Amino acid sequence: MSHNGKPWSPYLAGALSGLVSIGSVWFAGKYFGASTTFVKTVGMLEQLFSPDRVTQMEYFIKEVPKVDWQSMFLVGIFAGALLASMTDRSFKLQKLPPLWEGRFGSGIGKRGIAAFLGGTVAMFGARLADG
Amino acid sequence: MNQLFYGLITGFLFGFLLQKGRVLRYDKQVGALLLKDMTIIKFMLTSVLVAMVGTHLLVDLGLAKLSIKPTIMGGNIIGGLLFGLGWGALGYCPGTSIGAVAEGRYDALWGVAGMLFGAALYAEAFPAMKASVLTWGNFGKITLPQLLGVNHWFMIVPFVLGTLFLFRWIEKKGL
Repeated sequence: MSHNGKPWSPYLAGALSGLVSIGSVWFAGKYFGASTTFVKTVGMLEQLFSPDRVTQMEYFIKEVPKVDWQSMFLVGIFAGALLASMTDRSFKLQKLPPLWEGRFGSGIGKRGIAAFLGGTVAMFGARLADG
Repeated sequence: MNQLFYGLITGFLFGFLLQKGRVLRYDKQVGALLLKDMTIIKFMLTSVLVAMVGTHLLVDLGLAKLSIKPTIMGGNIIGGLLFGLGWGALGYCPGTSIGAVAEGRYDALWGVAGMLFGAALYAEAFPAMKASVLTWGNFGKITLPQLLGVNHWFMIVPFVLGTLFLFRWIEKKGL
């Protein structure tokens, strides 16, 4: 089992996703994005522990912690990718990417640390660039 | 409520296509950064081309409005450098990390946790950033056509043609 199923041409999938983007701008007035949702989600998590503090933080006044269009967009990405991978048998529970494993070995601790720190730095940068 | 439903449907279609194009994978994203596998470049640029043409048509017809972010050199450059470093280490971007988990590549969960932590850190740092980095080189909401004083189609058509030549070159090289 190759776990690669039947991939589509990246040109075709890309062009169709461009059409989806146009439809989104046309019907909902919304442009694609993902990183704001991480801010709003962590804001909602922080609200569980210190609601008063979150209310007073400038960034959470700017990006109010709540479920909105973009949160549901990310939920949709999860569901769409799940359905696509299940139906063409490319879904695979995989603890390490093959390219990573070939270069850094099969320890999951090293990957966990690199992925966590990478995610932290990438998100800080994404928010700083307002992207 | 309607907006939430639109978000869900749009995300579903996009996630389906991201998965079918196989661009959710660490190997594809890092493969592009290593200049060895151009799959995500093909997907992203094709998507940009189609969306660019369609969005500007909608704008010209008065059916949509552009959403322009301010150009702030400090934030864009430093933020971009940090994003690149982090993306290279993680191998997923914010949206694709969610899709990668959905297709079973659960090492992306570490990245999702890291990104939530990074977002929390930025929320703490925001007042300091606003007083420093985000004041460096603030040009406001500018666009290239506006800067050059030309109609946007004078930018779009050359961009489309240039990208098509790039695709032809990529295919010739077998990347």
